[in-house]
Amino acid sequence: MDPINTAVIVKLEPDFSEGNVSYNPDGTLNRAETKNILGPHSAIATAAAFYAKVKYGAKISIGTMGPPMAESMLQQAQLISDADDLYLYSDRIFAGADTLATAEVLKSGVQKMGKMDIVFSGHRASDGETGQTGPQTAWKLGMTFLGHVIEYEINLENRTVRAKRLVRMQGIYDIVEEIEAPLPVFIAIDPSYKSKFNTVSQRLDYERYQKEAFERAKNFKQYLKVFNAVQIEADPKLIGISGSPTIVYKVERIPKGKATRQAEVIDGANQEDIRKVVARLRQSLSTMVIK
Amino acid sequence: MTEGDYRHVYIIIEHEEGKILQVSLEMLGEARRILDDFNKKYSSNEKVVAVLLGYNVKEIPKILIEHGADAVIYADSQELRYVRNTIHTKVIAQIASDRDVAANIEPEYATQFKRPRYMFFAADSIGRHLSATVLAHMDSGLASDINKLVIGDLQITHQNKTGGKPLTYEKTLEMYRPDFSGFLWTTILCLDNKNPAIQKDYHPQACSIIPGVFEIIPSDPSRDGKIIEYTPKFDEEDLKVRIIDRKIIKSEIDFDSHKAIVSFGRGIKDSPEQNIKLIEQLAAELDAQIGISLPLSKKPFSVSQTVDSTYLIPDRVIGISGRKVAPKLYIAVGISGAMQHISGMKDSEFIIAINPDENALMKDECDIFIKGRMEDVIPVLIEEIRKQKQVVQA
Repeated sequence: MDPINTAVIVKLEPDFSEGNVSYNPDGTLNRAETKNILGPHSAIATAAAFYAKVKYGAKISIGTMGPPMAESMLQQAQLISDADDLYLYSDRIFAGADTLATAEVLKSGVQKMGKMDIVFSGHRASDGETGQTGPQTAWKLGMTFLGHVIEYEINLENRTVRAKRLVRMQGIYDIVEEIEAPLPVFIAIDPSYKSKFNTVSQRLDYERYQKEAFERAKNFKQYLKVFNAVQIEADPKLIGISGSPTIVYKVERIPKGKATRQAEVIDGANQEDIRKVVARLRQSLSTMVIK
Repeated sequence: MTEGDYRHVYIIIEHEEGKILQVSLEMLGEARRILDDFNKKYSSNEKVVAVLLGYNVKEIPKILIEHGADAVIYADSQELRYVRNTIHTKVIAQIASDRDVAANIEPEYATQFKRPRYMFFAADSIGRHLSATVLAHMDSGLASDINKLVIGDLQITHQNKTGGKPLTYEKTLEMYRPDFSGFLWTTILCLDNKNPAIQKDYHPQACSIIPGVFEIIPSDPSRDGKIIEYTPKFDEEDLKVRIIDRKIIKSEIDFDSHKAIVSFGRGIKDSPEQNIKLIEQLAAELDAQIGISLPLSKKPFSVSQTVDSTYLIPDRVIGISGRKVAPKLYIAVGISGAMQHISGMKDSEFIIAINPDENALMKDECDIFIKGRMEDVIPVLIEEIRKQKQVVQA
């Protein structure tokens, strides 16, 4: 049986943790002062690939489009997944890309890694939050796209994947859908994904690979390849600003809407007022309230 | 581009076993409003076109017309009962570029029609991904999570798009999306490259629309419209993707069965662990479920593992990126009141906010604003609730 080849596409994102994140006085993100890290959803996708390594002995390649400093983020991802190869696609011509032009670079980048059976991505980036880049990369790669995946298993013999997806139906109910698809597939991992290692041998492999990951990440540059647009054979017409159908026309503060309610302002230090608040709060909970 | 190449707004309808999702009707409502203005302004006659894929859905087109559609294109097949991304993407793209279908909607432009002018999807589990793959397939631009739409003629000077020259883009869809903080609005445009060096048309101009933002047009049974059946073509290979099982589940965090919800935001920052404990106690007194604002799900604080995995999780987020709730009592603790959060809780019956900053946006969205630090206010609240409970029991 052929081994399974997996790729993970990850993103460098602002670190939203307190102490690292910096906000402007108006509540917006201060990007200059905020550190950048492996995005949390990218980290989950990386952990999902590691599951394939532990359970199926899969090979893992991790790729990102970003500035040269993104290499330390690839090191973080290697530490999580014991990745065999790291790829940084870095070129000034990539700058200003929208999701479609980003997907084009990632498509070319993944193709450069070799023939993949599964490509993983995170659910969405915590700064851009569009969630479009994953599915668009999948489409350009011609792979079956499976989104919101919370669990998956690979059938090595039939070369198929069986995945559970969490589909939220606003206003109705949520559904867990089980789907089977022939490889290759592109999996966008749901934030609620958790790897489960059930057997003793899986746990032993887990520890062994973790140790290896630690050693590899120490010398991550040995595993790192940095490619520019020409090297990944990206079509210059389809990448960067010139390959982007969309532009950001303007950014403005969301104007303060009309007050929807007339709030009564209470001094939190006034015990008597708090007593009244509690009386009203209790009233609001009683089913006897007639509006 | 000539007049007639790109016409109409196509809306991708979502439903579950024939039950139409609210957001689909909301999109129809907004499309109707902006297209009525459009047709008046440009003396045009473009249409609101609903696209419906499913199995046993022949009853739905009529409902869509009653809610504002001029035409409904539907494909009814067992293969379309549930959404499989590849299959749905290809069928939607087929429909959107089908000239015979377009001729049926509007015979006078039958020979020119290439694609829809605009295209709307729902910004939910299904529409977000479908919009991404459909637009990748059609090679055009997409803006996600939109909550305001304007159509206008814009003068654009752009190094790439116009080669640095000022040019007018007619009938351009301004797509407003709130950013993750909820404070900034970014307007996205999808523009043809008019720069001769890289000339290229980008149509449709497409977006996904946040559920719960736009008003539904009440059903009007006297409304008239065209219903067009479409017979899709499937690729054998795509049918190998099989849905094996579907189970309806309840979220582990159940907001609906609680009369009260206590939510917290970044205001817990001075001592996150202790403050979350305080909120736990307050919620316990009120038998309330606990919610959080979006920034908290990005795990900005270092707290114990238990607190982290119990509370700082996406399942508890209330707002555009999370759940929409409407309890009898909503207590917002240390939440600034970004639109992101407000749209998820504004329908609550009675809203109390606890916040030291009287200028917080939350003040305009609540019935009682308790000015003070949560560390000081919540213990007093808890004490008073206990006292008043005792009075009743006595």
